[in-house]
Amino acid sequence: MQVYDYLFHSPAAPLYWEAIWAAIPIAVVCSLLSVLVVLKRLAFIGQGVSHAAFGGVGLATLLGLTGIAHFSVIAAFCVVAALGIAWTSDRKAVRTDTTIGIVLVASMAIGILLMQLWVSLRDQPWYVETFGRTTTSAGWESILFGSILGVGKDGAWLATIFGTFVLLILWWRRHNLLFYAFDETAAEAFGVRTTRCRYVLMLLLAITVVISIRLSGLILATALLILPGAVALRLSSRFVVVLVLSIISGLTGVLGGLLLSLQFNLPPGACMVMLLVILFVLTWPLGILNRKRVSLSSTTHTVRNHGVNNES
Amino acid sequence: MTTTAIELEHLSFAYEGRRDVLSDVSLRLNQGERLGLIGPNGGGKTTLVKIILGLLSGYRGSVSVFGMNPKQARFKGLVGYVPQRCLAELSFPFSVRQVVSMPVKLGHAVKRKSTDIAEVDELLDLVGINDIAHRPVGSISGGQLQRALIARALAGGPKLLVLDEPTVGIDLAGQQSFSNLLETVHDRFHLSLLIVSHDIRAIASTCDKVACLRRMLHFHDSPSGLTPQVLADVFRHDVAAAFGEIHIDAHRAEDCPLKNNGEGDSHAGV
Repeated sequence: MQVYDYLFHSPAAPLYWEAIWAAIPIAVVCSLLSVLVVLKRLAFIGQGVSHAAFGGVGLATLLGLTGIAHFSVIAAFCVVAALGIAWTSDRKAVRTDTTIGIVLVASMAIGILLMQLWVSLRDQPWYVETFGRTTTSAGWESILFGSILGVGKDGAWLATIFGTFVLLILWWRRHNLLFYAFDETAAEAFGVRTTRCRYVLMLLLAITVVISIRLSGLILATALLILPGAVALRLSSRFVVVLVLSIISGLTGVLGGLLLSLQFNLPPGACMVMLLVILFVLTWPLGILNRKRVSLSSTTHTVRNHGVNNES
Repeated sequence: MTTTAIELEHLSFAYEGRRDVLSDVSLRLNQGERLGLIGPNGGGKTTLVKIILGLLSGYRGSVSVFGMNPKQARFKGLVGYVPQRCLAELSFPFSVRQVVSMPVKLGHAVKRKSTDIAEVDELLDLVGINDIAHRPVGSISGGQLQRALIARALAGGPKLLVLDEPTVGIDLAGQQSFSNLLETVHDRFHLSLLIVSHDIRAIASTCDKVACLRRMLHFHDSPSGLTPQVLADVFRHDVAAAFGEIHIDAHRAEDCPLKNNGEGDSHAGV
């Protein structure tokens, strides 16, 4: 099998293992957040934040940045976009979906203009003297659709460190975040600082999108923030079980997609997303059964309670 | 010495660029008392509740909840709230018990050690939904959900419970049982209750005091002082005809003019 040879006999094997290493924290963090994203209907926000990376990629490319510096500029764009969306939604001056739409297209436009500027300047002597002879660090296509070779040891470490950071914040603020996500109006009345929760959630989404981009690609990064949660929520109506199932489906989709992309030389982001979509479709009948089971259990309870009431 | 739960002095409030929604409202609710707030739609009831909960600022006059700023009281978990409409995402895979336990796990509640998980079971029992505690919150009925929201409000260990239109959408039997539940909750925890409602009958039979609000406070006293004239002033039409008979709770009926106001023997004529 080609994938076996790549992983155990190829000279590039360390690069593939680094991608697998990076995939694990990315899958876990995306899966946990995806439950909140689906339930709180934040999918479009994820889309806006991930597309803000276009602007960052354009600027980083124009400035000739690579490695951590390249990553930092993209991260800064995503975080500013996420916090900007939270800020405007907090003020209620503009509808949140309108703000996201504006951020999304503005970032893409900035990215495209900066890339075009880079194309026209890159051979100018003053530009070469200032920034050196630059290339897009991972290639435009790999940024859009993801690349296993584009992850590297830096990417794996960044995914681990930032993934752990996101997990710690989620654990630390879990009660406030869950109350906020479940019932924002009541949470505020109960003393939860909902504005702070909104900013924290947006920041965590931005960080997760940023660490996912290298592997899954910018266009498909948000899919990892939707599909694992969507699969899990079809299968169970118990929160802890949903979280576990989401992590399992996230790991299956991300690692499985990675191996498929190695086997068939396909972009990893597309393989991951397709695998998760297949999982979602396969679990559809199970979801219907689960809903029937919950509804049946409710009816049984009602009948039993009526029985007790009648007896008394 | 009597502790004051809510004290409003000359409170006025206007949303940006609009005229006053509340004008020169002064009222007081002592610890352990039950105050019913009635008034027409747009009369400022929900705005007043939001100010008491510390969700709106920019008002004129003074507002204190247990002697402190409403926001402080909220962050200390002194106020429990049962909303008019449950705006929660009921598709969340949370059980009824998880929803009721939510305030217990918040930082300020943990610091105050207000309620623990064992007490949550007692609360579920008290409001009569212990048998459905494990069920997904999205699968229970409106009446059961309302009880769960009361249990949730109590789980934070509040000293003041604010209920905004708690019986909207609940059938008559459910409303009666809800009134009994409030009575039980009040007696058990010695809470101050602020109940906003359109249901004058329920307010008159449940509360120690009634406040009638239409931008200004038109009445603030014992329900026995409520007359059809006061209600007509507040609601600007003959509420007597609209509401039909008002049956006042037996133990309050003796001194309530609504019962014998010259328009009938056994009803208030309101």
